[in-house]
Amino acid sequence: MATVSIESLTKRFGRVLAVDGLSFQAPPGTITGFLGPNGAGKTTTLRSALGLVRPTSGRVLIDQHRYQDLSQPRRVVGALLDPGATHPGRTGRDHLRVMAGVTGVGDSRVDALLEQVDLTEAADRRVSGYSLGMHQRLGLAVALMGDPEVLILDEPANGLDPEGIAWLRGLLRGLAAQGRTILISSHLLSEVSQTVDRVVIIDEGRLRFDGTLAELGSGTVSVRTAGGAKLRDALTRRGFQVAVTGTAALEVRGATADQVGQVAADERIGLSELTTDRASLEAAFLRLTGSSEIPAAPAPRRSPAASTSPATPAAN
Amino acid sequence: MHTLISNELLKLRTSRAPWILLAAQLLLVLAAVSGIVISGEDLRNAATTRLMLAHAGPSFIFVLVLGITAVAGEYRDGTISDTFLATPRRSRVILAKLIAYGGAGLVFGLLSTLSALGVTVFSHAVAGAPLDLATTDVWTTMAGTVAFMALTCIIGVAIGSIFTNIGASIGVALAWTALIETTMYSLLGDLGRWLPVLSGFALQNVPQPKILPQLTGGLVFAAYALVFAVAALTVTTRRDVS
Repeated sequence: MATVSIESLTKRFGRVLAVDGLSFQAPPGTITGFLGPNGAGKTTTLRSALGLVRPTSGRVLIDQHRYQDLSQPRRVVGALLDPGATHPGRTGRDHLRVMAGVTGVGDSRVDALLEQVDLTEAADRRVSGYSLGMHQRLGLAVALMGDPEVLILDEPANGLDPEGIAWLRGLLRGLAAQGRTILISSHLLSEVSQTVDRVVIIDEGRLRFDGTLAELGSGTVSVRTAGGAKLRDALTRRGFQVAVTGTAALEVRGATADQVGQVAADERIGLSELTTDRASLEAAFLRLTGSSEIPAAPAPRRSPAASTSPATPAAN
Repeated sequence: MHTLISNELLKLRTSRAPWILLAAQLLLVLAAVSGIVISGEDLRNAATTRLMLAHAGPSFIFVLVLGITAVAGEYRDGTISDTFLATPRRSRVILAKLIAYGGAGLVFGLLSTLSALGVTVFSHAVAGAPLDLATTDVWTTMAGTVAFMALTCIIGVAIGSIFTNIGASIGVALAWTALIETTMYSLLGDLGRWLPVLSGFALQNVPQPKILPQLTGGLVFAAYALVFAVAALTVTTRRDVS
């Protein structure tokens, strides 16, 4: 089983510090979402992991080895970096044949992969006529070619329609269930929140968060249960803030879905629904990345003005 | 290494640019060699035979561009990332391309020379002029032209590896051959014989003043190819691919 381990990675391009002392791990059997706004350093990190970019300091190890030291790298790591990276005049099948040659697999693998990513019908057309979604599928076929233990995918959901995203989710879930290590990047939390097990969030090249989605969304958890009163008491005893929002509905603040589920299990209370508030996930992501794209507040200008105004009276 | 070279040849066969370049090159050779006949050169003169065969030479521009597309084309399409992912030891990739495209240049040179030979044989037959192909001079000119093309393609691969941008690479190569080297030649006088393109032309063994002997020219041109190849290998291994 291969863990991807980013260790104190720093990369400087001239005067720009793209990645700044970043450390995290992507363990086997899980899908790790690697998130951050555009320009946060995600692609530089992934390219460093794959030996394409030389780190200024630090290193990335895949199953204890640097990528460039792997003897058959494509058999260990499958990567999708840029779905548009194809020779436009070549057909999809020829593109895969070229890749099969250097991966060390036969042409029979090409047919199987075309089938797997649902491109058999378009296989003999030039890739210049492919849609972005088809390019993504072709890129995934290349990544899967060597049947690798580790998949590193940069923005794989980009350009896929909802049906395509669902297909991708199913594919990645299946691969993770086989014990493979999957690291996927995205600049949109909503795009991957239903796919990933863990999230790593970076901004300006630095680590902002590393944990499960439940931990990220720690804030508001919605519960539906027939035993509402009993659960409310149990949660309150443990120090959580609980609000009753309906006849059989509670809203728990300052808790993760894991914690609420555990309390319910301890108290033998059956639940019919347990969800982390999506809006709170999104808000946490935006807060961590210092993004200015926070959904418009009723009076967005007021609070920054108040905090910077010298006339504001000191809190006392 | 064998796998890498055959993979490069597969890439060559499955894209259109090499075929278009080859067709254009052969057309240019046919036109250039026919031009000598039309301009009224004396076909009974043995020197004219070598001049006709050597007129395959100026089409080396197409081979140079073919070489440039080997690496710079992959940078343009972005496929260079996948290529280096499959073979993280980049020097092996560049080496495979130098060898594969050296071979492609050889084939281009061979076909160009044969086209020139075809026009030569045909025009002599039509004019009823005697054609003596059994002389050493004729064969050294043809072999020299083929070697010139092979080395040119290798230099093209190196130029593309060094500049990576395909437009810049072709621009630099054309500016050098059409402008810079001719200017330097007029400034350098006799030393100008040692410039890259002129040392390459020396390989064709056409008797001209102010050009190196064939063997010397060939060694100088091969040395240029070697220097370019080493530079390409050095910069490629150190570069960030992003």
